[in-house]
Amino acid sequence: MPEARLPEQFRDLEQWIGWSLETEGERSDRRQASAMEDITAFYEAMLARMEEVLPYLEQFSLEELPDDAKRLFYLTLSLAEVAPAVEQFGQPSVVDGYDIKRFVASHR
Amino acid sequence: MKDRQPTGTGENAAPDQSNDRWNDKYPHLGTAPIPIEPYISREYFALERERIFRNVWLNVGRIEDIPHPGDYVVAALTVCRTSVVVVRGKGGQIHAFHNMCSHRGNKVVWDNAGRCRNFTCKFHGWSYGLDGRLTFIPDEQRFCGLQKDKLGLTPVAVDTWAGFIFIHLDPNPVETLRTYLAEVVPGLEGYPFSELSATRFCWRTEIKANWKVAQDAFQEGYHFPVRHKASAAAAFTSETNPYCHFLSLDLYERHRRTSSYGNLDYTPTPVAGMAYQFGSSVVVERGLAMDNLPAGVNPTRRPDWSIDVFWIFPNFSIFPSNGTYLTHHFWPVSADRTIWETRTYFPKAENAGQKFSQEYSKVLLRDILMEDGTTLEHMQDVLASGAKTHMPLQHQEICVRHAYNVVEDYVGFYAGR
Repeated sequence: MPEARLPEQFRDLEQWIGWSLETEGERSDRRQASAMEDITAFYEAMLARMEEVLPYLEQFSLEELPDDAKRLFYLTLSLAEVAPAVEQFGQPSVVDGYDIKRFVASHR
Repeated sequence: MKDRQPTGTGENAAPDQSNDRWNDKYPHLGTAPIPIEPYISREYFALERERIFRNVWLNVGRIEDIPHPGDYVVAALTVCRTSVVVVRGKGGQIHAFHNMCSHRGNKVVWDNAGRCRNFTCKFHGWSYGLDGRLTFIPDEQRFCGLQKDKLGLTPVAVDTWAGFIFIHLDPNPVETLRTYLAEVVPGLEGYPFSELSATRFCWRTEIKANWKVAQDAFQEGYHFPVRHKASAAAAFTSETNPYCHFLSLDLYERHRRTSSYGNLDYTPTPVAGMAYQFGSSVVVERGLAMDNLPAGVNPTRRPDWSIDVFWIFPNFSIFPSNGTYLTHHFWPVSADRTIWETRTYFPKAENAGQKFSQEYSKVLLRDILMEDGTTLEHMQDVLASGAKTHMPLQHQEICVRHAYNVVEDYVGFYAGR
């Protein structure tokens, strides 16, 4: 067994750890490079646990998240990233959209 | 968790149809199609440079961008063929200079932002204080008759309003910033810009479109039910307002403001609903108390309101909403190139839920803007064909018409023709 990277009660999300990414750019890149099937599976798995995930994370201050909680937090940000792909567009990228690589974020 | 999950059972009152024929309210703007030439002509662009951008106050960001002495940002004013350094001085005051060494003209700052104790030219090492004074010249004795006190960085005028930093390339502008903004100040006075600017997200892109083609796309809601059908149309249109008519608007001499309807009957998607529970979002938050908004934002106080826009001539816009705001800058590069910058602002996130909510709100905004970006480049691509010379505009596109008129008033391209 690899070392557990998420808080104990969220170990069922361990298989999605590849979505635990710190920056918008990384999360967007992964969304754009993923198959819709994988995006949807991640979206459904995360959505099902959010009612527990957010209250769990809210016991910490944002600046002092333990490493395992921080990885879980980044998973919630990836849910935010993929939500429009699932809920609005039905595909990873914006339908008939501008090249997102050209829309450069100066934030993280 | 806040107990205010929207149910999607709100009732939208019928839009106020008494004032949606906006051309009737502003007859001096006319109703004729507007010419395409200003969107493609190099001659027109050259006149815009000289008669607009060199002669007006231009927003270059917010005071939070440079909180500490020595913090600076660089505004690339390609349209005026210059680069301007905006810096917070030792005493906290803000200075702005052309980013140009007084010796042989090298840029004294090469990055876009940073913090420094002084500006030192990387060519021969001339050094300037944060107030622009020339403080050190290597091998100074070899220069003949140098008047060091007259060789500071060349200043440009700088002033702030509500935390927004504006510059004017004329170091002694005829018009003060306060006078320049007088038309929009009453509308925005009291909006909590400072509190809402704690968290900032910013994107930039160089788009292959004229700056007015790009900006005009954000000046009307008519395109929402079509161009934003997949993303945002459901939140901004309704059965009673299918074509995204404006709720109210005021056109001024140079600037303008609008209010847009939301949709009280909108049922958010699952993640949108979750984000709504934890924070503010332009797209999902509707019908909340507006006690914290100044009287000038959504002046009608209708509950089915979504967002206002204040268009500050020539290229800056502020979109205040409930608990969040965003801005656009459209910086002309050439007749068919524009640097488009969007920023979206939120209060400081106190916990993971609020941070998640802000992340969702900005990602959805970004994706909505991706829908707009494509259209702008397709338009520019064929506008220059000459296949058509004019474009017709309807009542709800009156801001595009107004923008065209204000630009032309400055440029005078058609005057006397």
